Amino acid sequence: MRDISIIVISAVLINNIVLSQFLGICPFLGVSKKVSSAVGMGLAVTFVLTFAGMITWFVQQFVLIPLEIEYLQTIAFILVIASLVQFVEMVVKKTSPDLYKALGVYLPLITTNCAVLGVSILNIQKTYGFLDSVVNSFANAIGFTLALVLMAGIRERLEDADIPASLKGLPISLITAALMSIAFMGFTGLI
Amino acid sequence: MNLAKTFSKGIINENPLFRLMLGMCPALAITTSVENGIGMGMAFTAVLLASNVVVSLLRRIIPESIRIPCFIVVIASFVTITEMVMHAYAPALFESLGIFIPLIVVNCIILGRAEAFASKNGLVPSVMDALGMGLGYTLALVTVSAVREVLGAGTFLGIPIIGLIDNPALVMILPPGGFIALGCILALLNKMQQKKAQSN
Amino acid sequence: MRDVLKLGAFLLIVAGIAGLGLGYVNSLTAPVILAQEEENKISGFQEVYSQAEEIKDESAKYLPDGADGIVREVNVAYQKGTPAGVIYMVEPKGYGGEIQMLVAFDIATKEITAIKVLSNKETPGLGAKCGEEFFSERFQNKSAEGVLELVKQEPVGDNQVMAITAATITSKAVVEGVNTAREHFVSNFL
Repeated sequence: MRDISIIVISAVLINNIVLSQFLGICPFLGVSKKVSSAVGMGLAVTFVLTFAGMITWFVQQFVLIPLEIEYLQTIAFILVIASLVQFVEMVVKKTSPDLYKALGVYLPLITTNCAVLGVSILNIQKTYGFLDSVVNSFANAIGFTLALVLMAGIRERLEDADIPASLKGLPISLITAALMSIAFMGFTGLI
Repeated sequence: MNLAKTFSKGIINENPLFRLMLGMCPALAITTSVENGIGMGMAFTAVLLASNVVVSLLRRIIPESIRIPCFIVVIASFVTITEMVMHAYAPALFESLGIFIPLIVVNCIILGRAEAFASKNGLVPSVMDALGMGLGYTLALVTVSAVREVLGAGTFLGIPIIGLIDNPALVMILPPGGFIALGCILALLNKMQQKKAQSN
Repeated sequence: MRDVLKLGAFLLIVAGIAGLGLGYVNSLTAPVILAQEEENKISGFQEVYSQAEEIKDESAKYLPDGADGIVREVNVAYQKGTPAGVIYMVEPKGYGGEIQMLVAFDIATKEITAIKVLSNKETPGLGAKCGEEFFSERFQNKSAEGVLELVKQEPVGDNQVMAITAATITSKAVVEGVNTAREHFVSNFL
């Protein structure tokens, strides 16, 4: 139980996937203009990342390792993730039109979100068991959502601020992210 | 479009990192030293070149409707080859780039070039496109990592710089430093562009 | 339907070719990678304990409960068929994660011959300095029989080690790793 809580705290706060591991930067900067879209993207990533963590773990343990083709990991995982995203999109569309309305536009973007592939590979590299992998994936997704929503909140306010012309857009977002990253560094040493 | 232009557009006008804002993750994560920047840039260029060549050669054979999965398989294969070669012959670099080598797969630039350029053009232009984009991305990575290494560690390519080595601004090689460096470089580029626009 | 089959077959062929190609490259690079890892390990061992004629991994014998705790490996260095020294791989928990390091002891002199930090995730410029020579030198030739103590000024006692400035947690972790190895060494080899 203690191990799991350490994994969660470490993934959400200390080694935050966006602010300290630099995975998923593209959606972090691209979809953080509004809090509502940030929440949508965060939910979609949470959904896909958790499932991807589960499935890639099975693929690694029951396909790649028994066949001794661990070197095909990258190729296998990216195909699994791409198919998973398609599948999730289809299922959500059929079963819950409301959810599809909320998540639909974000789902196709997730295939090329390096957070999903990154966390799946890291789960294997850290030799996590099944439960640890799922928890770690879920916690990382929560960390992603947290960073994304915080960022969106700040950017909504930045809209009204008087920013020097050359800093407008991406530069000020990056510097905001730097300040958030510094703040998150304060969590190091929590465990 | 002539070949020279195909090559040079990736370096300045359509620089993947500074202009198209693609491939941000490695640009922030591994740019803690110039050596890493060069290594990542070379690995990236190798993958981009190989995938552009194959996609360009196979552009008439690959069925339209499944081209994206095919591209992904091609790119992932070359990434894996690059990863294995680096692991075997440049283990120190392999260690320090870590997870970001397999993640070249999801670097939007490579899939983007396969889709937007190589699948529509012949072999020679595709090679020039890959070299230009690769060089542009490498230069961008080296710029970011030079700023971070010089300010954050007081060294350049591991060589100490007198006056900076004793009291480096550590934060620049920590995660926040990546955001700060890239943000300031982009702001500087914006400023230069505005000046140019005003004088015209 | 036939189209789907055709496209599926095409994709399968592409993936098959990719798989075969990768298998081939893997068969070329895998031995190189393996040889290199082996070489790294041996040169690491030699750096911390140079007089060995043969080094055997005897973790199974000396760590009956598996790699429980922070001791990961117990390697015994032999000279003329008898154990002369012991090289431990320990992984104490530092500020940013586990610090993987080697600690070597000499049985005859009952001293630490050297320590070497193999990998760490400590803060660059602060804790990451634990991998540098100036710090590992502070452990050289310390007696294995007394508990090592971390101090912040120039050490006065023989069993004292000075911490890295502004990286107390990292220094503590390294000392903890050395002490754990030391305890195991004293109770099993002396």
